[in-house]
Amino acid sequence: MEATVLLSESEAQQPNGPTTVPAAAPARIISGAEALMKALVAEGVETIFGYPGGAIMPVYDALYDYQDRLNHILVRHEQGAGHAAEGYARVTGRAGVCLVTSGPGATNLVTAIADALIDSTPMVCLIGQVGRKLLGTDAFQETDVIGVTMPISKWNYQITSADEIPEIISKAFYIAQSGRPGPVVIDITKNAQVELMSEPFVYERCQSIISYRPRVVPKQDQIEKAAELINNAQRPYIFAGHGILISKAEEELKAFVEKTGIPVATTLLGQSSISTDHPNHVGWLGMHGNYGANVQTDKCDLVIAIGMRFDDRVTGDVSAFVKQAKVVHIEIDPAEIDKIIKADAPVVGDAKEALNALMPLVQPNNHAVWLNEFKKFDAIEHEKITVPSLAPSTEKIKMGEVLDLLSIKTSGESILVTDVGQHQMMASRYYKFRRPNSLVTSGGLGTMGFALPAAFGAQVGAPDRQVVAIIGDGCFQMTLQELGTIAQNKVPVKAIILNNNFLGMVRQWQQLFFERRYSFVELQNPDFITIAKGFGVDGHTCNVREDLDASLEKMLAHDGPYLLEVVVEKEENVFPMVPAGAPISHIRLE
Amino acid sequence: MTTYTLCIFTGNTIGLLNRITIIFTRRRINIESLTVSETERKGVSRFTIVIKHDSREDVEKLVRQIRKIVEVMAVFGYLNDEIVFNEIALFKISTPLGAKTLDIETINKQYKSWVVYWGLDYVVIEKTGTEKEIFEFFEYLRQHEILEFVRSGRVAVGKTEKGLVEYLPEAEWEYYL
Repeated sequence: MEATVLLSESEAQQPNGPTTVPAAAPARIISGAEALMKALVAEGVETIFGYPGGAIMPVYDALYDYQDRLNHILVRHEQGAGHAAEGYARVTGRAGVCLVTSGPGATNLVTAIADALIDSTPMVCLIGQVGRKLLGTDAFQETDVIGVTMPISKWNYQITSADEIPEIISKAFYIAQSGRPGPVVIDITKNAQVELMSEPFVYERCQSIISYRPRVVPKQDQIEKAAELINNAQRPYIFAGHGILISKAEEELKAFVEKTGIPVATTLLGQSSISTDHPNHVGWLGMHGNYGANVQTDKCDLVIAIGMRFDDRVTGDVSAFVKQAKVVHIEIDPAEIDKIIKADAPVVGDAKEALNALMPLVQPNNHAVWLNEFKKFDAIEHEKITVPSLAPSTEKIKMGEVLDLLSIKTSGESILVTDVGQHQMMASRYYKFRRPNSLVTSGGLGTMGFALPAAFGAQVGAPDRQVVAIIGDGCFQMTLQELGTIAQNKVPVKAIILNNNFLGMVRQWQQLFFERRYSFVELQNPDFITIAKGFGVDGHTCNVREDLDASLEKMLAHDGPYLLEVVVEKEENVFPMVPAGAPISHIRLE
Repeated sequence: MTTYTLCIFTGNTIGLLNRITIIFTRRRINIESLTVSETERKGVSRFTIVIKHDSREDVEKLVRQIRKIVEVMAVFGYLNDEIVFNEIALFKISTPLGAKTLDIETINKQYKSWVVYWGLDYVVIEKTGTEKEIFEFFEYLRQHEILEFVRSGRVAVGKTEKGLVEYLPEAEWEYYL
């Protein structure tokens, strides 16, 4: 109804898609929908993850003529589009683009938007909206998307006329990709898509916004103060976060670490910012991180936190965290400084710029004794946890074995995309990352169902790399419909389900902290391989240890997408573990 | 609890009020008063928000999170002694036949307030001043029947040499002044 009322006049005037215009011809007046296509092309967008519907149909009609320039991937659920865009953004560093309709299309995207915000992932969400005249009237498929996404987006804006499109789209990409990246939501009313612009389309990429000026190059006095603390520290300790990967500062981090000899631990999202087997890499921090990496936070005299935000999964009890140490906090988002941990030397700026500025000011050192102290903890962890996990005497396969073998078979060169739970922690524990930016996981929001769509997004963004999704049996059932997208687009993603027939992490907590009262955590699972085959994706179930090697080989050698289900021990726990809210020093090995 | 006055300079866009107040909501900070108006520069709005809080550190965190909003140009947080501030109040007083007569002289001279509207059997009195002065006047007026009482919320300017807009990012602003 709305379409007939609002479209009747302008639709008649709509041009029939782009044609080659002779150089001398006057510029053609185009519709808002086509202006959007041109804006996306001008931004260098290659891929869009989307799902059509009523309020976005004029844009999909324009897209029909732009298929040669914009690769649209039709997902099966808008949440899938969102996570795929996140996966794409995380491996490319460029904004992932989603295109969905109003109402349920928009609300289905909400989880992914929230996920992208907390994990600093650049994303531009283009969302259809009812016509301007219907706004606020509870029209069919109308949701107040601006209101809904306000607290979970970096920026949002409602476009209500075609003329706004070039400027707003350029701002959207600029805001999403600059400073601390994040999701931007653009709500486009149907009339703005259909209307003709009043002037010929001109596109200028946004370079700056008066009220938004992220500091990239840090202030020299902050750098000098940080350098002084670093040079005077006896037991300095680097916490490397996601910011290293976002600013592509892996080389700078390595050079900095090799010059100063400082030990480095990564956060979950900072994994792969330094090669796992680098001599200065001492593990990862946090609730299920390494023993030494966590315990030594009590011993260091200086923390150099780079591009990380002291999440509660890293700090445990904040009042007991790094109390004895001074803190250098290198961070592009000033709101993160002093938010959780007070910084003695805050450095506001991009991680890469900050490391480059610090490099000439720090003295060469090797901190060999201090670095060596981590080793005794490593030995304990290896004996108590790693050995029994990787060479178990159990009948059933353990999760760690799968990841360890995968790590060996892929030489640590794959991009791992994980879901949320025990398998995520095991992947982070046992995969040895040798290439930068190789772990895509939902850290801050902990979104189950993230991995499968994020993995195909990552594979589309990095077609030359092997992408392996590590998924739990619970997580898989949240977004398994995206197998359809993977099959239709022949995205050669490899997915491994570590199936323990449990919501494993919740079960582990119930075992340890709720007296084994297993409240609604056991799953009656479907036959995953039959499901995959139904979607046209080949697969195999590995039940016994003897078959694991061959199963992984077969999966990796398979041409095209593949699902490998590994049936693992039902009640395996992830250790080490810091109980929620406890100080990091209370880390448990069993 | 300490009173803090936050002056927030922003562009003038739809929904910005909502975006700012969400940050107070998330941190469970109650807004005592809020006023918005355009500044001497066209296109720049000024929010004056008064809150009560016992942790200066938390207020600083709040300020940084507000600053993060794309359309926010600058945020200044003040204690009461750092600003000149006032608010305006209107009192609607019943004056039917036979009621106690209003002592206009006291209202004018002692309370620096004015009758701004004479109705048939009521008057509206305007009082400008600090929260304290307004409540003192309120106490005085209680001898009459107060039909309505409304306060505007605080407006404030800093006790600095320069105008606060001078601290805003540089741009080709259009001046009203």
